[in-house]
Amino acid sequence: MSLSRRDFLRASALAAAATTLGIGSVFNNKVLAKAGIDKEQFIQDSRGVKWHKSVCRLCGVGCGVMLGVKDGKPFGIRGDKENTINEGLLCVKGFYLNKMISAKNRLLYPMIRKNGKLTRATWDEALDLVATKFSEIRDTHGSDALAFYGSGQAETEETYVANKLFKGHIGTNNVEGNPRLCMASAVGGYISTFGADEPVGTYDDIEKCDMFLLIGSNTAEAHPVLYDRLVKRKKRNPNVKVVIIDPRKTPTNKIADLHLQVIPGYDLAIVNAIAKLLIDNGHTDEQFIKDSVNFSDGKNPITYDDYKKFLKKYTPEYAAEQCGVSPEDIKKAAKLFGEVPRVMTMWCMGVNQRVAGVFLNNLIHNLHLLTGKIGKDGCDSFSLTGQPNACGGVREGGGLSHLLPGHRVVANAQHRKEIAELWNVSPDKIQPKPGKHTVAMFDALGKDIKGMYVLCTNPAQSLPNLSKYLKGMEDAFLVVAESFHPTETTQLADVILPAAFWGEKEGVYGCTERRSQHMAQALQPMGEARWDGFILADLAKRMGYKENFEHFTSAEAIWSEYIKSTKGKDMDLTGAPYSRLKEVRGLRWPVPSVDHPGTTHRFTKGDPYFPEDKAAGRRMYFYTKPDGRAVIYARPDKGPEEKTSKEYPIALTTGRILEQWHTMTMTGQVPELVRAAPEPYVEINPDDAKDLGLSTRDKVRMVTKRGSLIVEAKVIDRPRKGTIFVPWHWPESLTNILTIDAVDPGSKEPEYKVAACRLEKV
Amino acid sequence: MKKFYLITLFLVAIGIVSLGFTNNQSDEKHPDVDWSIGCQDCHAEETPDIYKAWENSSHGMVNFGCYICHGDGEVTFYSQGSDATCGGCHAGQLVEFEKTKFNSCYDCHNGHTLKFHNE
Repeated sequence: MSLSRRDFLRASALAAAATTLGIGSVFNNKVLAKAGIDKEQFIQDSRGVKWHKSVCRLCGVGCGVMLGVKDGKPFGIRGDKENTINEGLLCVKGFYLNKMISAKNRLLYPMIRKNGKLTRATWDEALDLVATKFSEIRDTHGSDALAFYGSGQAETEETYVANKLFKGHIGTNNVEGNPRLCMASAVGGYISTFGADEPVGTYDDIEKCDMFLLIGSNTAEAHPVLYDRLVKRKKRNPNVKVVIIDPRKTPTNKIADLHLQVIPGYDLAIVNAIAKLLIDNGHTDEQFIKDSVNFSDGKNPITYDDYKKFLKKYTPEYAAEQCGVSPEDIKKAAKLFGEVPRVMTMWCMGVNQRVAGVFLNNLIHNLHLLTGKIGKDGCDSFSLTGQPNACGGVREGGGLSHLLPGHRVVANAQHRKEIAELWNVSPDKIQPKPGKHTVAMFDALGKDIKGMYVLCTNPAQSLPNLSKYLKGMEDAFLVVAESFHPTETTQLADVILPAAFWGEKEGVYGCTERRSQHMAQALQPMGEARWDGFILADLAKRMGYKENFEHFTSAEAIWSEYIKSTKGKDMDLTGAPYSRLKEVRGLRWPVPSVDHPGTTHRFTKGDPYFPEDKAAGRRMYFYTKPDGRAVIYARPDKGPEEKTSKEYPIALTTGRILEQWHTMTMTGQVPELVRAAPEPYVEINPDDAKDLGLSTRDKVRMVTKRGSLIVEAKVIDRPRKGTIFVPWHWPESLTNILTIDAVDPGSKEPEYKVAACRLEKV
Repeated sequence: MKKFYLITLFLVAIGIVSLGFTNNQSDEKHPDVDWSIGCQDCHAEETPDIYKAWENSSHGMVNFGCYICHGDGEVTFYSQGSDATCGGCHAGQLVEFEKTKFNSCYDCHNGHTLKFHNE
């Protein structure tokens, strides 16, 4: 029996109306009167509803939520007012988390493909099959014929077990995760500029900031609760300025004082021009530059004067011509940046998902290093994260092909030795050569890579230039551990393993501001679902690695082993054991001891690793660099990989909308969220629409060199003329058929944000 | 269509058995419209005054859409929001009504502008 998604949602909504699950019943004035959480990790209200402390499952902001459970069933969701990130507020997606737990597309039992069809199986059948096939592939084709593809939504404990199994026992560095597709350029920027990943400051800076520079970030829709904090900051302090650099007018523009609406892919010139103007206008902090900054052209050290010479080309007029904005607006932005005492720059996928992503990250850091607007209240160059545990699990946990846990890299012999010791394996078991990055890994799938384990992500919808990679997923032995089915990826799998969903498992998420937060298990997993950490440990045992995995009997046991890897590192979490994390709303590393409060600004006083002796009076000492100095890079401007042409005259850019998240496996099950934007669409500038004779709701074909897609037109003055914007959420309309899979040469992150396209009225 | 109602009945049955309570049922109906259009897109044209009031409010500023208070419209529809809904997000600003002369968030706040009625 087949049922369309629309019919199914209608049916689900009717059921929900009849039973009024969730928000209809959660209101009780006294529910959260208590500030703390008791020893059993919940607060019980007068109706017998137990409210468990947790963290939102969706974006990377890390909002605290309370999950209400009654009679073993999800009862409702509400913001955690004790959590300082959101102080009780939720966005529209987080508001419906409880409905996602009991969504009708939950995968309830293992399935194995037999004669081309996915068929119900027992756990033993499924895991024995995976262990046997993976062992055969390893023995026949070598360890590198296997791969793991994880997620910034997996808990740190889950990623840690996978990393230990694949890198430390199977012996392949083909371990990747979807943060490669969203955050890798930010990582590359932080490491090259400061010597260490993740921001210097925290969200606390928002309430002390005088100017927000938002680049390639639709904060209002992608990080709504953070946006709410910006709105409040501006409302209470009307002098606070918001400057936006983005090809599109987004809902974030509601708080904008100045918008530089750039041609997609050309904004590097603007940031260099702002740097030049900061110097020309005398807005630099020369003492800070002298104390804490080096200069580099990317290959060799250069002098401050060399850097000034490099910037000569970047006049406001040159940048304006490159980017399609007015030189006056660039001057205004630079003047504001220079004049106000405190500036935060925030950016997201519009910066990272670019072939020049790392360069652009470096250029943003340059502005803060030139002015010394970093490492103090209200100032930071602060990357926004798209997933709830991309920072915690994958970046800190080392879940990429070149990384090891605790900000280590596979290429470093000492790092391999330390982790091998922790994992109780020989150091030569961990390969020194990085594995394949995500795009290369999927390119090799079905060829050199014969078997892959996918955890908590949906690459058959989310990979760029999608058509190119689907066959590999079909041909290889593909195992998918998921909470939902069908997804585009589970439909291609040979084995699907039902994974416990958020609320049904315990674990830690680490959000954008270096804060690790504990999530209580409030529910038993639905059906036969099991926790991913246990599934992976079970697989390890079945593959012959019992000795080093059998002690993983709880999430706490895994976390306790993991945080040993952080001892003495810049991201020290040894002061954040479960016993402490359960009592607090997260801790921001470095937190080297259980009596340490966590760190609001790194590399300065208050950071437990700040070396006062080496700093010798300097305000900041970047101890993750050999001489304690961050680097200002002279990075040339570089356009997109695929420039518009006569044949493909329109720049296509992709992104998200407020009410949906990624591939809709979760948010697509909530009728209210679907109602906000029921159908796939493309935003077209009115001038372009006029040229093509298009009106809103007309069907339009978007054509790139890689494929074509027909959706409804939404004629709206949001994208600049010559640009279209396509949300990528709907599985029935795979936007990534159109996107390009060219990657940044440093971060290997694909350029989802710019492709050349043409439009045809259908 | 028969299939649709069978599925609905099945899901209702599961819901009642598994949750064991009912509450806040609404017999109000939203006019039957083209459901492939999002609420905001339609209401910006059909009820521009309400849309503007919402758009200029704190909820509009953060794009907190119609569906949060009014349901998805097609099946669940509430012409007025409920205190329960407000409490889901405003956990930090809960009011103990028994200590006041008011009974509801809406006694003071206009549902769309969110301003106090006397403002």
